[in-house]
Amino acid sequence: MRIKVNRDKCTGCRLCLQICAIEHFNEINPKKAALRIEAKFPDPGKYRPFVCTLCGKCAEVCPEEAISRADSGAYIVDRDKCTNCGVCVPPCPVGVVFQHPDHDYVIICDFCMLCTELCNTGAIVKWEKAASLEAKGV
Amino acid sequence: MANGLAGKTLRIDLARGDIRSFPTDEGLYRHWHGGRGITAKILYDEVPRDADPLGPENILIVNAGIMSGCFIPAGSKVEFGSVSPLTNGPGDSNMGGHLGPALKFAGYDMIIFEDLSRRPVFLFVDNQTVELRDATKYWGMKSLDCEKKLKEDLGEDFEIATIGPAGENGILFSCITHDFGRQAGRTGQGAVMGSKKLKAIAVRGNKSIHVRNLDSLTKQVTEIILRTKKHPNMVPWQKYGTAFFIQWSNTNACIPAYNFQTTFYEDIDRIDGDQLVEKCLITHKACFGCWMNCGKYTKAVIPGKPEVHLEGPEYETGSLCGSNLGMKDINHVAYINWLLDNLGMDSMSGGGVIAFAMECFERGLISEADLEGHSLKWGSVDDVEHFLDMVAHKRGIGEWFAGGSKRAAAKIGRGSEKFAMQVKGQEMSGYDGRWAPGMLLSYMTADIGAHHNRSWTITVDMAEGRDTVEGRAKIVVYLQHIRPLFDTWCICRLFWGELDITPEEIVESLNHITGWGVSVAEVLRTSEMIWNLNRCHYIERNRDNGRSFDYPPARAWEDKIPSGPGTGKGLSLAQIDRMLDEYYAARGWDEKGNPTRELLEDLGLGYAADRLAKAGFLGRSIPGGIPPVRGEKYKPKAF
Amino acid sequence: MIIFLKAGGELRTKLNPDVDYYTRRVETERGQTLRDILTGIGINPAFVAFAYKDDKVVRLDHVPVDGDVITLQPPVSGG
Repeated sequence: MRIKVNRDKCTGCRLCLQICAIEHFNEINPKKAALRIEAKFPDPGKYRPFVCTLCGKCAEVCPEEAISRADSGAYIVDRDKCTNCGVCVPPCPVGVVFQHPDHDYVIICDFCMLCTELCNTGAIVKWEKAASLEAKGV
Repeated sequence: MANGLAGKTLRIDLARGDIRSFPTDEGLYRHWHGGRGITAKILYDEVPRDADPLGPENILIVNAGIMSGCFIPAGSKVEFGSVSPLTNGPGDSNMGGHLGPALKFAGYDMIIFEDLSRRPVFLFVDNQTVELRDATKYWGMKSLDCEKKLKEDLGEDFEIATIGPAGENGILFSCITHDFGRQAGRTGQGAVMGSKKLKAIAVRGNKSIHVRNLDSLTKQVTEIILRTKKHPNMVPWQKYGTAFFIQWSNTNACIPAYNFQTTFYEDIDRIDGDQLVEKCLITHKACFGCWMNCGKYTKAVIPGKPEVHLEGPEYETGSLCGSNLGMKDINHVAYINWLLDNLGMDSMSGGGVIAFAMECFERGLISEADLEGHSLKWGSVDDVEHFLDMVAHKRGIGEWFAGGSKRAAAKIGRGSEKFAMQVKGQEMSGYDGRWAPGMLLSYMTADIGAHHNRSWTITVDMAEGRDTVEGRAKIVVYLQHIRPLFDTWCICRLFWGELDITPEEIVESLNHITGWGVSVAEVLRTSEMIWNLNRCHYIERNRDNGRSFDYPPARAWEDKIPSGPGTGKGLSLAQIDRMLDEYYAARGWDEKGNPTRELLEDLGLGYAADRLAKAGFLGRSIPGGIPPVRGEKYKPKAF
Repeated sequence: MIIFLKAGGELRTKLNPDVDYYTRRVETERGQTLRDILTGIGINPAFVAFAYKDDKVVRLDHVPVDGDVITLQPPVSGG
């Protein structure tokens, strides 16, 4: 299961950021979300969501081996092992490893998919097709 | 605080550069519900009645409200409030986008700016870091350009609100711009900000907002999200925004054309919602937490001019700068929208002022010599561009128009007062009221001058009879209570009003956030309280009976509609008087339009009655007493 | 022929939906305009800002065909 981004459909409403933080932290705080929205105005005048692509770079570089791949395919942070050193932040090719002063561990998408369920425009959607590609080893 | 509030309020003395932070007064919010409620109270209490709105005694309040940012659909708004230099009364204007939530995520519910800075400054807020920074290098920049520069200098994740050259130069209908295309447009809040030499506000925050019952709120909001996804009107809203309304308004003889000379525009097909979406659209744009995404980010492409990007034109700008100016190309309408946004002028008053000037030119009351050798013809985007430059910089007769159409008409005279389409100094919204009596009454009695967001009655007028006035007043009163509640809570009326969400559901959300356990009746009463406080404030400041400020310009009753489906239609002055009589009776005011002691005490505003009495304008007691409930919800019978 | 009309708000109440919460099934004659059809079921066309079919705006002089699903958009309550 992956998340497909149809960037031209993003309107910048930030509903995805809100539900992500509510689901994982029980708080209303877009800065605790595990995805981000980039706004480029006035030129070209577009929004673009960035979501985890499951590349695994964060897990690769973690000096504490605190990030590991779950059966679902998502990368899960062991909050006890994570020292919040932040080494995993720059290598993320889409910039979706987050740190927040309230917490002593990094925030990475666990693919709960709630954001895709609430997105009203189809800018971020469940990509089930990817599952079949993965089964073929692609 | 687990009640939707961020927790802190800032008071900033701009003359001394003094910034004080103190805990937000929850009691004040409980009583006045935030947003325009709190601005009404603070302005009433703190601004002397003879204070110059552009002087040191005026206060500018930025208020993010209870519900903004609280995972509420369209919980995006922020309210600006100050004594309006345009109307000389309590003024407020709300703005969508992301600034309201950003303020709260930084930890602040409200910022109160006092006095005037000696040098240009901008307010920098980054969580607990709050600083007044030098804005010399930004002073003089146009709004949209300034927002872009501030984001480059500070960081893309800052939310920015700016004024343009118009605000800096004290154009009385200046706006405050944010998110590259959202404005706090009405009542000249940008001029107040400019008088204080406050160029911009830049905010970033990463704190959480806490509500009383997040589980219940999340459950309710999630259900609303999934329900409205299937609402049949969601898709057209998402595609067109309010621009779809242009055709309907024309077909039904409401749209202003050629400075409200008529209400039917032959070239409507060139400037409607389809044109906007087909020719100009870049992306659909949403405010924080809103999936209706009514915003349309567009481009205006005109040969010989640079391509410009803007948000709009939505219905109001599309009509007031479209048919009202005789424009024949959607790109021209969009370009004028961009000019107004970038100079930092309200596009609604802007359209009204330009249209007034165009009619003056048509009638020979102003000439090419007055306009630096330029003309000001209907439909000419070049003429408009030059005229706006004169106004924004108060050059030549541009200075006459810098105070709005009412002051310009006072300068020009020769009967021009008749077609300065404003009430109390503020220009009308994009609906002509001559064949919509309730709409005309709405303009006449809105607390901030002619504006539709307090009350909009055109479908009621169509159902009840467009040629009759009886029974309209109490419906206007009800609407004037329920609609401004959204400005009090800082959420967007469009989402809640257009997609079958009931007042009971909204109050349920309010209670999940605050834990207050209020009812719809109670919040309507709070709104009525705010309305009457503003009325008392207005009368005291302007030192005359309320009725003397409540009339439209003479075109409303002297000029019948000359063309289109509304040909020959229009009200008489006697009908207008009758509507006002009915309105005051419905409000519990006397026949002079002054609130009575009985009404004010019923609302807990005995102190306002004392002040009004001292000023000599307390309403005379009404024989038979005030109505027990003021305002009546419209029950459609004919459709 | 049969067409389906959908609406929200006050228009929905007047439409008297019978298929689901928003939708009414209407039997009508071929060749009638949407305006005629609306009048025929007791809806004043003036209360319809525009109609919407297959992602496109249709005006009230549109002539529906059998099976059309048309959304009726009420006027904005000001905005």
